[in-house]
Amino acid sequence: MTDDAPLGTFEEQVMVGVLRTGADAYGMSVRREIERVTERDVAIGAVYATLDRLEAKGLVASSRSTGGGASRRVFRLTAAGGRALAESWAMRERLWHGVDPRRLLAGEG
Amino acid sequence: MVPPAAPAERTPLPRPAAALLRALLPHAERDEVLGDLAEEYGARASEAGRWRAGAWVWRQVLSSVPSLLRRSWWRGWSGFEPQANRTRPGGPMLESWIMDVRYATRRLRSRPTYTLLAVLTLALGVGGTAAIYSIVRGLLVDPLPYRNEQEVAVFWSPFDWTEQEFLYLRPDFAGFSQVAAYRTEDLTLQLGDAPARLVPAIASSFELFGVLGTQPMLGRGFRDGDDRVGAEPVVVISHGLWQELGGEASVVGRRLRLDGAERTVVGVMPRGFWFPDPTIRAWVPTPLREESQSGNYAFIGRVAPGQRIESTGAALSRLVARLDERYDYPAQWDKTKNATLTPVREFLVGSLRPALLATLVAMGLILLIACANVATLMLGQVDSRASELAVRSALGADRRRLTQQLVAEALALGLAAGAVGALLAAGAFRFLVGALPLGAWAESATLRWSVFLTAMAIAVAAALLIALAPVVSLWRGDLRGALTRARTSGIGGRGGGLESGLVVAEVALAVLMAAGAALLIRSVSKLYDIDPGVNTSEVAVLHIATGGGATAAQRRVILKELTREIGALPGVRSVAAAQRLPLSGGGDNWGIDIEGKPELATTTTAFRVVSPGYLETIGMKLRSGRTLAESDGPSSERVVVINQALADKYFAGEDPIGRQIGAGFEGWERIVGVVGTAAETRLTDEPTPARYMLYEQIPYVPDEHSLVIRAQQGRDPAALLDAARRTVERVAPSVAVQEATTMASIFARAVGPARQVMALLTLLTALALVLGAVGVYGVITHFVNRRKRDWGIRIALGQAPSHVVGQVVGRGARLVVAGIVVGLVAAVALARLLASLLYGVGTTDAASLAVATAMLLVVGLIAAWVPGYRASRTDPALVLREQ
Repeated sequence: MTDDAPLGTFEEQVMVGVLRTGADAYGMSVRREIERVTERDVAIGAVYATLDRLEAKGLVASSRSTGGGASRRVFRLTAAGGRALAESWAMRERLWHGVDPRRLLAGEG
Repeated sequence: MVPPAAPAERTPLPRPAAALLRALLPHAERDEVLGDLAEEYGARASEAGRWRAGAWVWRQVLSSVPSLLRRSWWRGWSGFEPQANRTRPGGPMLESWIMDVRYATRRLRSRPTYTLLAVLTLALGVGGTAAIYSIVRGLLVDPLPYRNEQEVAVFWSPFDWTEQEFLYLRPDFAGFSQVAAYRTEDLTLQLGDAPARLVPAIASSFELFGVLGTQPMLGRGFRDGDDRVGAEPVVVISHGLWQELGGEASVVGRRLRLDGAERTVVGVMPRGFWFPDPTIRAWVPTPLREESQSGNYAFIGRVAPGQRIESTGAALSRLVARLDERYDYPAQWDKTKNATLTPVREFLVGSLRPALLATLVAMGLILLIACANVATLMLGQVDSRASELAVRSALGADRRRLTQQLVAEALALGLAAGAVGALLAAGAFRFLVGALPLGAWAESATLRWSVFLTAMAIAVAAALLIALAPVVSLWRGDLRGALTRARTSGIGGRGGGLESGLVVAEVALAVLMAAGAALLIRSVSKLYDIDPGVNTSEVAVLHIATGGGATAAQRRVILKELTREIGALPGVRSVAAAQRLPLSGGGDNWGIDIEGKPELATTTTAFRVVSPGYLETIGMKLRSGRTLAESDGPSSERVVVINQALADKYFAGEDPIGRQIGAGFEGWERIVGVVGTAAETRLTDEPTPARYMLYEQIPYVPDEHSLVIRAQQGRDPAALLDAARRTVERVAPSVAVQEATTMASIFARAVGPARQVMALLTLLTALALVLGAVGVYGVITHFVNRRKRDWGIRIALGQAPSHVVGQVVGRGARLVVAGIVVGLVAAVALARLLASLLYGVGTTDAASLAVATAMLLVVGLIAAWVPGYRASRTDPALVLREQ
């Protein structure tokens, strides 16, 4: 598990999920967000396990939410996490550069 | 997105799902995750109904299990703790165990000497115990290959019953469902042109397999009538012999040439069946003759349904009454006395029990010593970690967690020791089978996979036992106190009472074993001191069987040819034959009449048929008169040589030479010589009266003989056996060689199981001594190291180094002496276990106990002296500067 290895698909989804949920990013809300976007069932255990791994890599950080209701472990992206996500996005751009995905869909249909 | 519902509306989750998830979540995150899940469950329930919501929860939980398990493992392994949980520590059980096992392996790896010592010590005990346990289980615990063995028993006076008695009793064995008569009968098997070989066999009445309740694998057992005179000769063979004959089903109906006559194979017994021991390879029905009175049968019976062996008293009384009606037994063979049944297990394998149990106990003691050793080692480790543990505890680690760490370390040691021990067990198994007096059972002892499981189970049990001592010390000790004391380098620290206790126990166990070994050594040396009255160093022996088909005249010719041809081999000084050798047990006692002493009519003495030159070849010393000579032929006067014991018994104060005695043949035999008394039956028997006559001068020649071959001076008799065996094959192909051996090994066998148990126990004692010494050494070294500063100050203040040595050794001596006292008490109590193996020494033999004491004292004091000497060399400057 080296730090500069590219992100896995699910890792990327979880990180984007954290980003999109904003200040309220805890396990269950991240899970709901991913589920909503991908339209697939996502197990809460898988989300937590991935968040742990990302935290160990220093890509996300966790802290205790203080405020109304129960104290929760909430997540935010670290600077390194932001860079990794941006790099992942850029790599995807480069990968798809000059390829028109609509032709693939047409070929399929 | 389902909006989160207000906390007030939370619906409780299905219980089992919640419990499962709870078990897999770290303590810090448990409540929030379950809370969030319950919230969404509630929302979904009110929207889509309870069923769907429940299904969703289950899907969530079950699909979370693999990733959560992986996470627990990974967290435990990497020690990862999220930032958010820094102030709320604690993971699921699994996580902390993994962490602790990992920590333990790391600690063990960083202390290779300690680890190696602990693992090897433990593996030795574990491997040995697993191996001997496997043997013991196979022979003493596993069921015998008979149906309901608890219903099968052997009658009193085994191998003394006659065919006539059996036929007389057979019509009415009330109280029994069936009774069979059997005797051993070795058969020669001739396959094609190959030299004949011996097949150990049993001849029995037809009921045998019915009594044992075992069905043949192929074909049939014996049928009523198979044991009638004139019935077609049949044979049932063992699985092993069947395999040797090709292992085909068509063997049933095949004819085998056994003892020179054809027998039809009617059945094959299943694999794993044996009776009465695993070397027997064939069973034949014996034609029962009303007139046969030779007493060599044992009766084995199965009690009637619903009966128990113990409740057959009335049935036995009836049998005895019927015997009393018909027979008039001489006092010493009276079968109407002491009528009892011996359970078949006791009868067949009971004799193995003392040796096996003694070895099992000895191995168990070694294991305990090893455990004590490793426990002391670990205690030392805990002690030197006192400050570390105190710091941990000050930082909030609770004792439960520290306990868990110790147990994890012990388990890691135990598992490693189990793996090494299993390998040792596999090796020790073969060694033990060879070293134990198992006799015929050696070949039924097979190494099974279960020995590895046994080793692992023993190792884990041992590990838990080992963890006990440091854990107790942990819970008893005052951790915070240790922290303050750590600064003064532990002076007046823990008294080491637990360690001392363990060493005392170790020494006690070692004394126990040393005492047992000493008893056996003394007993065996007494057995070796007995003069058997024959030459045991220069004589080789071939046991042969001429085959049942040969006539007496043919047998005489065969014996004559064999002695002549083998006698011509290089290195052979002389050769002779006898129907039974000294030191081969009882039997062949014939009635003796003495001319002029009719009152002795009913007594018997050992009777041996021999060839000329036998007495000289086997090394009996002539006391008076002459020995048997070639010139004593079939037509000359029948002559007999008697031994000194016979002369003393029947001719006290008279000269027996020239007197006449009778052996039940027509007329008398003249005594021509007296030889020194040889141990004709067993080594430890009283001098046995015996007489010797020539094959040429009696009408009867038995089937089995022993050729005794005296080597020329300075030659190894065993080296002659190969050539002798080849000579037998060349001169008489129909003769089977049962066994090629030497008088020396017959003597060793006569010394009995005690010799083999002694060798094993001595070896184990040596091991126990080494382990005990290591224990004493370890504890005293630790004691010395803890007081390093003490010694430094004392030496700086001018105490003589010899004084320091004295103090240290004194402490060691106190432990050793305490151990010896405990061990001696245990030795006296446990020596009964060896009672049946002892000869000429009591179970509380002062000399043996003294030897054991002295041995432990010497070893223990040396083990204590080494660290003491080191303490006396403490450089005060060095130690004091360290502080």
